[in-house]
Amino acid sequence: MNFLNIILLGGIVAASIPLIIHLFHKSHFQIIRWGAMHLLESLQRTQKRRLRLEQLLLLLVRCLIPAILALCMARPVLTGMRTLLGAAKTSVVVVLDNSYSMEVGAAERTTFVQARDSAGRIIHDLARGSELSVILMGGLPRPLLDEPTFNTERATRELGKLQTGYGAADVPASLEMAVSTLGKMHEAHREMIVLSDFQKISWAESEDVERARVANLIKNMPVKPLVMFIHTGQEDKNNVSVQSLDFSRFLLGVNQPFQVRAHLKNHGSSRYSSMRVFFRVDGTEKSVAQIELGPNESGQVLFTHTFDKAGSHVISVDTDVPDALKSDNVLLAAVPVWDKLPVLLVNGNPGRGPLEGETDFLEIALQPYNATKGSLADLITTRVVDQHHVDAHTVKDVRVVILANVQQLQDHQIKALEDFVRGGGGLMIFPGNRIDISWYNSRLSADGKGLLPRKFSTIEGGPEDNDPHAAILGQHQEHPAFQLFNDPRNGDLSTATIRLWYKLVEKQGTAKTNSGEFVMARLNTGDPFMIEKKYGEGSVIICSTPCSADWSNLPLRPFYLPLMQQLVTYLAAKFDPPRNIQVGLPLIAALPAALDGKTMELTDPGGKKHKLTAKNQGGRALLNFDDTRIPGLYLLELPDKSLIHFVVNTSRSESNLAQLTADEIKTAAKPFEATVVKSMDEYRQMEQRRRYGREIWRPLLWALLGLIFVELLLEQRVGGIKR
Amino acid sequence: MAIAADFLTPADLQKISNLQVLARLVVEGFCSGLHTSPHKGFSVEFREHRQYVTGDEIRRLDWKVYGKTDRLYIREYEEETNLRATLLVDVSGSMAYAGKNISKYSYAVHLAACLSYLMLRQQDSVGLVTFDQKVRQYIPPRSRPSHLRVLLDALQQTKTGGETELAKVFHQLVPKIHRRGLLIILSDCFGNVPELLSALAHFRHAHHEIIIFQIWDRDELDFPFRQWTRFDSLEMEEDKRLIDPVHLKSVYMESLEKFRADLKAGCHRHRIDLVPMTTDIPYAEALAYYLARRKKQI
Repeated sequence: MNFLNIILLGGIVAASIPLIIHLFHKSHFQIIRWGAMHLLESLQRTQKRRLRLEQLLLLLVRCLIPAILALCMARPVLTGMRTLLGAAKTSVVVVLDNSYSMEVGAAERTTFVQARDSAGRIIHDLARGSELSVILMGGLPRPLLDEPTFNTERATRELGKLQTGYGAADVPASLEMAVSTLGKMHEAHREMIVLSDFQKISWAESEDVERARVANLIKNMPVKPLVMFIHTGQEDKNNVSVQSLDFSRFLLGVNQPFQVRAHLKNHGSSRYSSMRVFFRVDGTEKSVAQIELGPNESGQVLFTHTFDKAGSHVISVDTDVPDALKSDNVLLAAVPVWDKLPVLLVNGNPGRGPLEGETDFLEIALQPYNATKGSLADLITTRVVDQHHVDAHTVKDVRVVILANVQQLQDHQIKALEDFVRGGGGLMIFPGNRIDISWYNSRLSADGKGLLPRKFSTIEGGPEDNDPHAAILGQHQEHPAFQLFNDPRNGDLSTATIRLWYKLVEKQGTAKTNSGEFVMARLNTGDPFMIEKKYGEGSVIICSTPCSADWSNLPLRPFYLPLMQQLVTYLAAKFDPPRNIQVGLPLIAALPAALDGKTMELTDPGGKKHKLTAKNQGGRALLNFDDTRIPGLYLLELPDKSLIHFVVNTSRSESNLAQLTADEIKTAAKPFEATVVKSMDEYRQMEQRRRYGREIWRPLLWALLGLIFVELLLEQRVGGIKR
Repeated sequence: MAIAADFLTPADLQKISNLQVLARLVVEGFCSGLHTSPHKGFSVEFREHRQYVTGDEIRRLDWKVYGKTDRLYIREYEEETNLRATLLVDVSGSMAYAGKNISKYSYAVHLAACLSYLMLRQQDSVGLVTFDQKVRQYIPPRSRPSHLRVLLDALQQTKTGGETELAKVFHQLVPKIHRRGLLIILSDCFGNVPELLSALAHFRHAHHEIIIFQIWDRDELDFPFRQWTRFDSLEMEEDKRLIDPVHLKSVYMESLEKFRADLKAGCHRHRIDLVPMTTDIPYAEALAYYLARRKKQI
C-alpha cells in the first residue's frame, strides 16, 4: 500500500476528534440541581446498557468517517506486495505484427491501424528516458529503427509512416529478434510487448517447438523481461484469396498464346455463388470469369492471352468479392515477353542429306512454324554454326548454346562458353559418335569445376535390334522442364527407344564438388538421361544420347518438339533473374552491359523511389535491390524510359484468417510466461497498476458515504429521535 | 374588564416581594373581571360598609348613608360559610427547582397566597400546612380577614429542604384536619405514586374534597438539555447522576408519561382533581379553576 498524497494521510488524526468530543462532553458537563430524580432512574440504567453497545458503535463510526476521508484524500494505492515501477525507465521492445492479415477491417480502422495506434500509445506512455525498439513481424522480421532509441518522438514518427501489406508474419524469428534486441538494452526493467492478431497460421502448433526455443532464450536471459501479448482486432474468417498463378510457358514470345491458371481459395464458411474473377494485362481488363466457391473450397480459372508487343508486362488476376481481407484478392505476375529467343546450334557433324545433320531435327523442333512456313511466329530463332565459329562474339547475343556432337573446342572457346554460362546463359551438350571423350572429361569437366556436370564413361546398349535398349523412365517428373509431360496428353516420354547412350559417371571421391547438380530424368536402366548443373548464374544440361536420330528414335517421337522447346526456354528463362520473387529476397535486374554504371530509379509499391546503380557482372549490368519487404509491383525505369516490372509476392498462408481462441492464446503465452491482454485499455490499466498500483479512493468514498448513512441511522436509534 | 395583572406572568410578579400586595393585585384584578359577584350567602351580621363598584347589586346599596353623605356605599354582612379549605404546600427540596422561570416553590407560595386572599375575601375558612418529609407548620382554618396576615407570614417564612414523603405526611395529617373540607395540595407530587394515592384515599375517606395543583417546571416536562449533565439531587446531597440527555430524552419522556398517567389514573379513581400547572402559567388560571370548582361544590 502506497499513498500519492502521503501528507494528507495526517488527516487520519481527525479520527480522534469524535473521541475527543465524546470525552470532552463527558468531562465538561453542566451541573443541574434537579428535583425529579425518580424520573432519571430508568435513564441511568438504559444509559449504562446503551453506552456499551450502540454508543460505542456510533463512536466507532464517527471516528471512522474522518479517518476514511483522510485515507481517501491521501489517495491510497494497492501495490500487492510489489515494489512499484513508478516513473522508472524501462527497456521496451514492441513486436508489431504488420503482416498482411492485419489489413482486415474497415479502411480507416484496420487491425493494423489499431495495432499501430496501440504501439504509439505504448510508446507515448513510456517513462521519460526509456529505451525503445520496435520489431516488425511482416515479411522478414526487421527493426523499425536500426538501433534501440531513447527518442520516442522519432519512433512515433517512424511508426506513423508504417504501412501494412508486408508479407506473412514469421513469429519465432520475430520473437527471437526481439529477444536479442532486449539483450542489448540497458534498463533494469525490460518489457516485450507483442501486438498481433494471433492468426492460427502464424501461431500454429507446428511452430510450438520453435517458439519454445525462443521462450527458453527468454528464460535464460540474465534480466528476465516482462512479456505481454496484446490481441488486436476481431476475427472475420470470410476471406477469398487468389492463391497462385500457373503459366503454360516458361518464356513468352510475341503473338504466342499462353495460358494463365489462377487458383482461388475460399477460407471462410460463406458461399460465393457468382464470384467474378478479372484478368488484367498492364492494368487493362482483358477478360472476366465467374466462379462459384463454397465454404473452404478451392477453384481454378483459366485465362488465355496473346501478347502483341515484346517487353515487360504485368498481369493481374483479381476478384471483387466482398470479404474481410482485400489485399489477397489480387495476385500480380511480371511477365517478360520476348521478341526473339536467339539460340546458337553448334553442329559437330553436318550431314549431306536432309535431316542427316546433327542439329537438323533440333532446328525444326525449335522453329516449327518457320520450318513449315506457318503463319504463326516462332519465339526461338536458331543459328547453326560449326565448332570453329564458337567464340565470345557469336555467343554474345544468344540465350542458349547447344553443342551437338562437337568433337572438342579450343581453350578460348571454352572460356567464352564459361563466361557465357556464368553470366546466366544456358548450355546444352548432346554427345554423339564424334566426341572426344578424354577431352570432354579432362578439359570440359575440369574435375567437376568445369561446365560438364559429369564425365562420359562407356557407351551402353547396342545398335542391333536384339541389343539391350533403354527408354526414358516414365515417372512423375520433378524438373520444371519435364513437368509438362506429367500430363499424358502432352506426350509419353517412355515411348522412345534409345539404342545407344553414354553412361554418365561422377569422378570417384569427388561427390562434394557436384553440388548444384540435378538429374532431370533417368533411363529405365537407372542411368541418368539428362543432368542439369548450375554454373554461375546460368545452367548446363547434359544429355546421355544425341539429339539426332542416329542412336535413338527420339526426334521421331511427338514429344521431341515440346521437350526441346521446354528445355531451351527453361535455360533461356534462367538467363534473366526471376521477375517474380518472394518477399524479402533480393530483386535483381540483369541489363545490357551498356548500362553499366548508370543510375536508374526503382519505384516500390508504396510509391517510394529508390536510386540504383548498375554494376558489371559476367558481361552484364546487374542491379540489386534488397528491401523487398512490401509485396506488390516494383517498377524499374531504364534510361530509355522503358519499364521493367518486378512482382514481389508473399506467401498466401495468412489468407486463412482464423485466429487463436482466447484459450489457445493463453496456451501459446504459457511458455513465455506472458500476460495476455485483450485490449489496449486493459493494458493501460495493467501498466498503470504496475507502475503506480491500483487506486482505491473510489471504493473508500463509497464506504465513507455508507458510514455517514449508518451514522445517521445509529444516531436516530441511539438518540431516539422519533418523528 | 381586564387589568394589568391579567397580563402579568408569575415571573413578572416575582418582583413583588410582599405577598399581600401580590395576592391583592392578582385576586382583585381577577375578580373585577367577573360579572357575577363572588359574594354569596345570606347575611347574619353587619360587617362593614364598602364603596359601590360596578357590578354590585343595587338593592344592597345603603340608602341611608347615601342620604347622609351623598356617596354610594354597599352594606356588607358577615357571611356564613360552610367551606373550610386547607392549603397543603409542599416545601420539600424538589420544589426548589427553578428553570428559566421562578422556582416551583415560589410559584406554590404565590399561588397559596393568592388562594388564601381569594378565599378569605369570600369568607371561607382557610388553613395552611407546610411540609416536607414531616409537617413543618400547621395553621388551622379561620375565616377572619385578619387571618390572612397569619397565613402570609407563615408562607413568607418557609424554606425548602428535606425529602418529599407525601404519603407519610398525609397520613399524619388526616387526624389533624378532623372537620371535613377542601384540601388544596400544592406540590409536584414526586414520590411513590401508589403510596401517595393510598394517602390521598385516606383523606378521601375522611370526606375531604381534594384539588391537587401539581406544579411542574417546564424543564421537567420538556427535558431540553443538550449536553452532558450531572443532575444533583435537591433533596439528597449524595445523589448525583451523570447523564447524556440528548440520547436518553426518549427514555425520560417515557418514564415521565408513565408517572403522569399513573397519577392521573389514580386521582381519577379517587375523584381527586389533578390540575397540572407549570410555573409559567398565570396564577389567575389556577384561581379560575378553583372558583369553578367552588361553584360546583355549593
